[in-house]
Amino acid sequence: MLKNTISGLDKILFDDIPKGSVILVTGAEGTLKSGLVFSMMANYISANDEHGLYVTLEQNIESHLRNMNSLGIREERGLHIFDYRDMRLEWMDSELDLIKTTEEVIDSYKEKYDNLTLFALDSLNALYSISDQENMRSKIYNFFSHLRDEELTSFLIMESAQSRISGQFSSSHQVEHFLADGTIELGMIEGSGGVKRYIQILKMRATKHAMEKHQIIISDKGLNILGPIY
Amino acid sequence: MNTSIQDIADLSEFQEDNCKKFVDRIIKTNREVFMMSSLIEKQMCGYDLIKEIFSKCDVFLSQGTVYPVLYTLEGEGLLHAEYSKGDMRSKNYSLTLKGRKIAEKDIDDFSRALEQVSLLLKR
Ligand SMILES: Nc1ncnc2c1ncn2[C@@H]1O[C@H](COP(=O)(O)OP(=O)(O)O)[C@@H](O)[C@H]1O
Ligand SMILES: [Mg+2]
Repeated sequence: MLKNTISGLDKILFDDIPKGSVILVTGAEGTLKSGLVFSMMANYISANDEHGLYVTLEQNIESHLRNMNSLGIREERGLHIFDYRDMRLEWMDSELDLIKTTEEVIDSYKEKYDNLTLFALDSLNALYSISDQENMRSKIYNFFSHLRDEELTSFLIMESAQSRISGQFSSSHQVEHFLADGTIELGMIEGSGGVKRYIQILKMRATKHAMEKHQIIISDKGLNILGPIY
Repeated sequence: MNTSIQDIADLSEFQEDNCKKFVDRIIKTNREVFMMSSLIEKQMCGYDLIKEIFSKCDVFLSQGTVYPVLYTLEGEGLLHAEYSKGDMRSKNYSLTLKGRKIAEKDIDDFSRALEQVSLLLKR
């Protein structure tokens, strides 16, 4: 179960995330988006005989792994990491349709490993920024549909400037929030005891969950979710 | 009814198209065999491999279907990858000893499978 993958995650998720859900993970830079998603996947894969695919556009495999290592998160055999480094060195951006390519990459891994059940994209912003901007809304819609057709529980990382004011998502990303089954927000807040990292589930269809911001810390055993912040 | 030369030309073009469609599909689903077969002759990067298969088979294997295969074959120890000297831009793949053995066997099995299929259809 995904809710057992991170210590304390059951404080905010009372039911498990339904299989095949598409979850957005949002937050500013450095708020542990990559760390949270990768560590949920790695721990899930190590406990279950299944495969996962982590597609990184932000960093290449080596720097992603260095980053995870520093957070105390280890690599897992069944968790395949795919980056676009070679492809982007060998081809011009105009020769690559990255959204279609990402769908093909997923299909290729799915062909190879029929028990591929988890997928992550790090990040949607990067995917958009190097894609042809025409018909973006329908491309996004089709991409989400593709993930659902493949029955993958998917985490889509979306970097946001700290611009979410009183529950309003910045209008540029409303489509994704509307299409997703769940949204997990990561962030930092300044309190009396200094700056604290938080995790908050804003939406999770068909799942009982807490609404409060909970503190998330980096311990030597990886990520750890503590009590609510107030 | 009169069959015009144009009709015959259309039909043969259709048959050619139709045949090409099947070949396309066979190569795409069995791209692993075609990729390894190309790598028997020389080491190549993903880009070269796609160009090579295109010029040899007239089939464009898209990037998203080729690179994952290269990475998983490398992970399974069938391919060896190294960046070409002085040019960090292309990662060249060659078959390992184990990879070569498997490639040769796969090519053999695949060819026999195709023969069997065409025999089945001729009955
Ligand atoms: N060993 C460590 N101890 C504490 N914090 C760390 C450690 N290693 C990395 N970090 C923090 O983790 C952040 C990176 O986390 P990451 O998951 O990559 O964030 P995001 O994907 O949201 O940008 C760094 O900015 C840093 O603040
Ligand atoms: Mg990140």
